[in-house]
Amino acid sequence: MEAGLLVQMLLGALLGLSVYLPLRCGQLSLATPGFFAIGGTVAALLSTRVPALAGSGSTYPIASVLLEMVLAALLTGVLALVLGRMVLRLRGIYLAIATIALVEILRVVTLNLEFTGGAVGIFGIPQPFQSAEGYGAFTLVLLALVCWMCDRLEKTRPGRAMAAIRDDELAAASQGINTADTKLLAFVLSALVAGITGVVAAHFLNSWNAKLGNFDASITTLAFVVLGGSRTWLGPVFGGLLLTALPELLRPVGDLRLIVFGAVILVGPLIFPQGLITLERLQALWRRRPPWLALPSNRGRR
Amino acid sequence: MDHLLQLLLNGLAVGAVYALFALGYTLVFSVLGVINFAHGALFTLGAYFTYLLIGGAVGANGLIAGLQLPFALPFWLALLLAGVGAAAVALVVERIAFRPLRARGSDPLLALITSLGAGVILVNLIQLLVGAESYSIPVGTLGSLPVALSIAGAKVRTVQLLLLAIAGVLLLALTIWIDGSRSGKALQAVSEDPVTAQLLGINSGRMIQIAFGISGFLAGMAGGLVGLSVSIAGPYFGIGYGLKGLGVLVLGGLGSVPGAVLGGLIIGLAEACVPADFSGYKDAVAFGFLFLVLLIRPQGLLGRPLAEKV
Repeated sequence: MEAGLLVQMLLGALLGLSVYLPLRCGQLSLATPGFFAIGGTVAALLSTRVPALAGSGSTYPIASVLLEMVLAALLTGVLALVLGRMVLRLRGIYLAIATIALVEILRVVTLNLEFTGGAVGIFGIPQPFQSAEGYGAFTLVLLALVCWMCDRLEKTRPGRAMAAIRDDELAAASQGINTADTKLLAFVLSALVAGITGVVAAHFLNSWNAKLGNFDASITTLAFVVLGGSRTWLGPVFGGLLLTALPELLRPVGDLRLIVFGAVILVGPLIFPQGLITLERLQALWRRRPPWLALPSNRGRR
Repeated sequence: MDHLLQLLLNGLAVGAVYALFALGYTLVFSVLGVINFAHGALFTLGAYFTYLLIGGAVGANGLIAGLQLPFALPFWLALLLAGVGAAAVALVVERIAFRPLRARGSDPLLALITSLGAGVILVNLIQLLVGAESYSIPVGTLGSLPVALSIAGAKVRTVQLLLLAIAGVLLLALTIWIDGSRSGKALQAVSEDPVTAQLLGINSGRMIQIAFGISGFLAGMAGGLVGLSVSIAGPYFGIGYGLKGLGVLVLGGLGSVPGAVLGGLIIGLAEACVPADFSGYKDAVAFGFLFLVLLIRPQGLLGRPLAEKV
C-alpha cells in the first residue's frame, strides 16, 4: 500500500473521532467538515502569506506547523464555544440539520471571500515533510494522542457523564450532571480535533479550497462512525481507516466505485446497527484471545 | 414597477419548486419522523426521466450513450410519467433503506445514513448510465406556447408561469386529499401515532408506502420542472436542491404541509431579492433562514411546539 493512502486513512480516522465525540453524548453533529475546513484555511493562509513562518531551510519548519495547529485550535475552539451554546439546545434531527446549515454557510462564505482564494482556493502550500512517510509518522502520532484522549475520556468523570447523557439526558441531569456544559465540552473537543486535522491535511494536500468542507464530507465522516460503531473510540478509528481506503481498494471496479461505497453505507447499518466494533464484540474477542496474549497480572493471580 | 413584478414572479416560481420539494420531505417526516436523504436523487431522477421521455438523446459519455427513445411524448405527459417513475423508485428506497430499520425498531437516525446510501447509489448510477454532462430541455417542448408573455408591462417567461400553475395545482390537490379524504385522514392518524393508528384498523405500513410514493412523485415532478426552466446540470444537481429543501422544511415547520409551502415561497422570494453584486451568497440564504429559525423558533413558522418527552 502506498504511504499517501495511509496518510489519508489516518486523517479519516481523526475525522471519525471528531464526529464520535459529540455522538458520545448522543448529539448528532455534522459540523466536523466545517471545522476541518477552517483548520485547513488557517494553515493555507498562514503558510503561504506569512514569510516569517517559512524559516530559512528548504523544508517548511515543523515548529510552524505546530504553531498553525495551536492557532487553528484556538479559532475553532472559540467558534465551537459560541456556536455550541446556540445549537446544542437542539436535539436529534434538528441539531443535525442546524450543523448542516452551519457547514453550508461556511462553504458559501469561503467560496465568495477574496482572501480565501474563492472557488479556486489556495495553492502551493509549503511542505514540512519531503515524503508521504514523514506525513504518515506525524499523523500517526497525532492520531495516537487523540485516541489516548478519547480513551481517558471514556474512563474519567466527564466522559462517563457524556455516556450518561447519551443513555438518558433527563436522568443524567437529575443526578447532578451539568448536561449543557458536558455537551458543550464534547462539541468543542470535536471542533479542536477537526481543526487540527485540517492543518495537517492542508499541508499534505498542498492546496486548499471550499469544496473540502461540504455536505458530502459531512456524510462521509458520519458514515465512518456509523459503520465503525460509536460505543468506543476504536469504532470511528476503524471506520475512518476502512472507508477512506475503500474507494482506493475499489479502484479495479472503476466507475462502480461510488456505487459500491453507497451500497456499503446503505447496507452497513442494516446488518450492524451498532456498528462493526461494539464493546460486546471486543469482550468476546478478548475472552477468546490466544494464551500468549494474557495479561501479566492475570497470570500472577493464577 | 415592471421590475418588481418580474422579481416577484421569479421568486414565486423558484419558491413553488422549493415548496414541492419540501412537501416530499415533510410527508415522509410526518409519518416516520426521519428525513429521506435520497430525496434529492429522486428529484434528479425525475429531471432525467422527463428529458428522456420528451425524446431527448443521451450524450456520448455514459453506458447508454446515444440512446434515444423511439417516441417523443408531449411535455405534460412526460412530466407526469417522470413523477410516476420517481415514485416507483421512492417505493424501492422505502423498501430497502427504511423498512428493515423500522421492522427492527432501530435508532431512526440510522435511516439518515441508509437513505443517503440509497441516494449515493442512485446518483452514481445515473452518472454511470448517462454521463456527467448537463442537459437542457429544448424551448420548443412547450409546443405552441410563446416563450415569454408580457403582463402589465413586465416580460415573464411562460415556463415560470407554468411552473407556478403546476405547483399550485399539485399543492391544492394534496391539501384536499389530506384534509378531505379517508386515506388522507388515515395518513394524519399515522403521523400522530403509528401504533395507535394500527390498532384503529389503519394499515400503517401501507400509509407509509403511500407517503413515500407521493413524496417521490412530487420530487420527480419538481425535477422535471426545474429541468425545463433552467437545465439539468448533471447527476448531482438534485443534492443542492435537497439541502435547500431542508431549509424550507425547517422554516415552515417539520411535518407541516402549509408550512412547507409558505417556507418555499418565502425562501424563493428572499433569494430573488438578493442584489446581483452579492449573487454568490444566494445559496446561503436558505441556510441563514434555517439557522435563525432553529435558534428563535425551532418548531418553524407553522409547526407545532416541540414536546419534551420524559
